[in-house]
Amino acid sequence: MGNLRYLTKEGFRNLKVNKLMSVASVTVLFSCLMLIGIAFMILVNIQSFISGIEAENVIMVYADLDASDYEYMALGNELNALDNITSVEAVEKEAAYEEILAEMDENLRIYLSGLDENPLPDAYRVTVTDMSRFENVVNEIKKLDGIERVYENSSLAKQLEGIRDSVTYISLGIIILLLIVSLFIISNTIKVTMFSRRLEISIMKSVGATNSFIRWPFMVEGIIIGVIAGILATGAVWAVYEFALTSFTSVLTGLGSGVQVSFLDYALYLVAAFVGIGIFTGIFGSATSIRKYLKERKFVELED
Amino acid sequence: MIQFKNVSKKYDNGTHALKDINLTIEKGEFVFVVGSSGAGKSTFLKLMMREEVPSSGTIVVDDIDLTKIKKRDIPKFRRRLGIVFQDFRLIPNMTVFDNVAFAMRVIGTKEKKIGRRVPYVLSLMGLNEKARNFPQELSGGEQQRVALARALANNADIIIADEPTGNVDPQMSYEIVDLLMRLNEAGTTVIMVTHEHSLVRCFDKRVIILDKGNVVSDGGSLVREAATSHINPVSEIEHRYDVPPEEDYSAYTQGTSAQAEEFAVTGGAE
Repeated sequence: MGNLRYLTKEGFRNLKVNKLMSVASVTVLFSCLMLIGIAFMILVNIQSFISGIEAENVIMVYADLDASDYEYMALGNELNALDNITSVEAVEKEAAYEEILAEMDENLRIYLSGLDENPLPDAYRVTVTDMSRFENVVNEIKKLDGIERVYENSSLAKQLEGIRDSVTYISLGIIILLLIVSLFIISNTIKVTMFSRRLEISIMKSVGATNSFIRWPFMVEGIIIGVIAGILATGAVWAVYEFALTSFTSVLTGLGSGVQVSFLDYALYLVAAFVGIGIFTGIFGSATSIRKYLKERKFVELED
Repeated sequence: MIQFKNVSKKYDNGTHALKDINLTIEKGEFVFVVGSSGAGKSTFLKLMMREEVPSSGTIVVDDIDLTKIKKRDIPKFRRRLGIVFQDFRLIPNMTVFDNVAFAMRVIGTKEKKIGRRVPYVLSLMGLNEKARNFPQELSGGEQQRVALARALANNADIIIADEPTGNVDPQMSYEIVDLLMRLNEAGTTVIMVTHEHSLVRCFDKRVIILDKGNVVSDGGSLVREAATSHINPVSEIEHRYDVPPEEDYSAYTQGTSAQAEEFAVTGGAE
């Protein structure tokens, strides 16, 4: 326990001794993590936006305008009998009309309420279970009698799905690239620290310190850099995200997305991931450079 | 006991640093290893510290075959050695006390023990007053004594001194070898590499002379060698080196290292 305290203290001392290098690597790692975080939040938002559209991706089936109540009900039964259907919800024209009126501008509402006749047909809102067979369902429905029109936006969903896939791949690519960069940064810092402490390392080796004992303070240093950068990056991503939300809210709602992702829902994951990445890069970044250093460097650097 | 059997070392770059070396250094012996630059002295030391492995032959140190020792056992083996370098290798931003304590901390010694042991080894080297000083505030000789104290900190039974007098003035050189002698009298094996023939002549000890990777002379004291060449080196040396005042090393020199350790545990209070 005493040893662990000593070694950890040494790790902090490393940071202090190489102040400039430590600040530099925290900054660069912080930038990397922030970019990773932003890439991640963009990805999450696009995902949620598309799921939102998909969730709305119901098929509106409008019955013929002159269909009788009986025909309307029969159509409902036929829809229910179809395969791959989660629900069939009746949208009676009166209710639909009310709904539309409620959403309308007041002047327009007054004007429309003067109409004698409800211009809307009765309809059914059909929700599909398996999205991959969405088009089959649409085709099946189109074959049914007594239908005025079938409305769906599968093509939009498809396009968005394509975007989502490329966004996912690009984000993942960026994240992986930045992770590698982070590893390099940490291992470089550790290399510099080790170089500046080569005297101590040579003494440690000569008096019989084990490699793990020599390694630990450098790992601690890497971990501390990682954790500090991770926490700062989470805060920065939060700030950037909130700023972006307030700036783009109008655009987003215009797109019909009431599915704003709250940062706080992901804050915990991000902190955990960032600190995890920090620790991971700290350990591996330092481990690789230390192993190389301990292997190559002799402690008796004498000339014969 | 240190035993070199048919040891040769050839580096990857083609340098044949040691050629078929055979020698035995008994426990408690004091040996000078002398040779000019390129003679193979450093390789000799590196092999003994298991920093290098011989290309052929075997090296045995106290029943441990260094050519067969497992990697993870090397640090443990090195704890039996106290190594002193020509350039002192003291950490500049640590006090004298911490420099010595460092050697103990890095092998996981408890602070309580360090607190007792460090003042003791510093007192052996006459450095008690300097415990709070930083290395750069000390003379070369004092720095080398700190390095010696550090080598003693972990109770080494073999002291390997690589040109320990290379960076100190002649009077201090004498003092340092004298200190090594005293440690040797207490039972520690001492191997000192040097190229200062004049210094070696002052002490009547075994001398191994290396030249171009071969042992060209072993055993004869240079004092005797010199005597036959009609020079009186002792008076010459006495002129060069003022013999330092006696200090009280009784605690260390009169007992074995185990007793010294006992002394350390009781804090030397008795």
